[in-house]
Amino acid sequence: MSVSARMMLVLTVVGVFSGLSLVYMDKYAEPYIALHKKEAVREAIDKVLPGVDKVEEVHRDETVIYRALDSSGKLLGYAFLAEGPGYQGKIQLMVGVAPDLRRLTGMEVLESVETPGLGAKITESSFEEQFRGLEAVPAVGYVKAGRKPAPNEITAITGATISSASVVRIVNEGLNEVRRVVRAGPPDCETEATIKWKGGKK
Amino acid sequence: MELLLIFVAAVLTNNFVLHYFLGICPFLGVSSRMETAVGMGLAVIFVMTLTATVTWLIYHHILVRFGLPFLEYVTFILVIASLVQIVEMFLRRFSPELYRALGIYLPLITTNCSILGLALFMVLREYDFIEGLVFGIGAGIGFTLVLTIMAGIREELAFADLPRAFRGAPITLITAGILALAFMGFSGLIRV
Amino acid sequence: MSRRPWYQEYLKGLWEENPIFRMLLGMCPTLAVTTSALNGLSMGLATTFVLTSTSLVVSIIRKLVPGQVRIATFTVIIATFVTVADLFLKAKFPAISKALGPYVPLIVVNCFILGRQEVFASKNPTGRSILDALGVGSGFIFALTLLGSIRELLGSGEVFGHEVIPGWHPWVVMILPAGAFLTLGFLVAAMNAIERTK
Repeated sequence: MSVSARMMLVLTVVGVFSGLSLVYMDKYAEPYIALHKKEAVREAIDKVLPGVDKVEEVHRDETVIYRALDSSGKLLGYAFLAEGPGYQGKIQLMVGVAPDLRRLTGMEVLESVETPGLGAKITESSFEEQFRGLEAVPAVGYVKAGRKPAPNEITAITGATISSASVVRIVNEGLNEVRRVVRAGPPDCETEATIKWKGGKK
Repeated sequence: MELLLIFVAAVLTNNFVLHYFLGICPFLGVSSRMETAVGMGLAVIFVMTLTATVTWLIYHHILVRFGLPFLEYVTFILVIASLVQIVEMFLRRFSPELYRALGIYLPLITTNCSILGLALFMVLREYDFIEGLVFGIGAGIGFTLVLTIMAGIREELAFADLPRAFRGAPITLITAGILALAFMGFSGLIRV
Repeated sequence: MSRRPWYQEYLKGLWEENPIFRMLLGMCPTLAVTTSALNGLSMGLATTFVLTSTSLVVSIIRKLVPGQVRIATFTVIIATFVTVADLFLKAKFPAISKALGPYVPLIVVNCFILGRQEVFASKNPTGRSILDALGVGSGFIFALTLLGSIRELLGSGEVFGHEVIPGWHPWVVMILPAGAFLTLGFLVAAMNAIERTK
């Protein structure tokens, strides 16, 4: 066999083997990966809307919001993913809001790359807790550390005002989007597959 | 505006070498002289721009279209390796001057993790075609910038009287650390 | 072909040919993921898996592969195992996969994996190749875990998430990129000093 024929043969065989084993591996891993993604979302909703039992996904245009129901089927509130730029990079949040859309029920930072020791404190519960029960009308605001916040304001982290302000801005932007979707009326909201929560209450 | 942000982030605030640690091997290897650093830098800018274009097209128009994104890594590394080969052959044939300037750096680029990193980040951040292109150019320029700064420092360091254990790689790493601290001053300049 | 005792193939990777401290190869993941001891260890294990599997396959097919397409073949094999490792981590250890991020796929271009195939697995029988890969892998795990532990200790007073120094005032710089360069610089210098006193 000539050298070039052998080269092609070896590369083809290796390529085919590689492709086949990856197809198999992908088939194996895919359901787990999808499950983890859903669990992560569900876990975050649990934190921002305590007492949630059932979650419905509502899709409209590009926006996805989650309708959270308690065990008796009463609407507890809405949760939504919001993201935007922080000081160093992208920040992604899960935010919970009461059914009247006037009060937040919680906020959880899912992803961020803020400066460790300063901006990274937005992921600490002392910061996240400030959003629980926070008034969101007309919008969420912030004050610098040491001043007294109004009912719709949080206190920014010392030395990390930009990171704190970024979170506030992302929350407000997401909130406006959710208001637009919810006000547009529920009838034509398309309800998609309910997310099952196999783990139960954690 | 969005494009400017991507560009400045790739060059300064999220510099590939100092923030993501991509391309450390050539960064340590070819930063001892200014001349080689500039040559390597130019070769990297060239290949990065090309890689951004080609991998974007292949990922979105072949892998995604046929539902094969799990072949991403295998495809990207092969595309990069072939691309470098093609560029090398092309330069040798059509532009001997450019080949003399960049030629010896091209084979080294295949194992430069910043090129694969570029392709991976582009997919991860869901850039569109133009954004990917700007990101590629910016990352290349950022790499060149840091490489030449480092070469400038190391040319001076060659005359310093260092403890024996620190000569070579250790002092280069420590200098890179101080550079990384200096580059942190850029963060907040723009928001990614 | 070397006729060293078999255990020597393993041991040499730990010190003499330690990829990080002696050879200065595979720096990108070393610096990027060692913000904590656990991350360093996970990265070390993933890389060792890829290295050992690749060495196994390469040493079996070494006589069939023509020299001209050697590198391309090795690269495809490495990329395949990296994808396997990446999918496995995503499926079973989502937290670790998230922490390591794009540095798992970047194992593909880790220079010492291809390097070991070139200088060892393509020229030696399977048993020795696996020992060699495990040795270099262990050296890598050792280096990464050490680096991760030091950075985590100084950056937060903890190692593997357990408090070691109570009331430690964290050196934030250790968790930042700059801390990675500084720590590794001093470690390599220390290794050089130890090597010279031998």
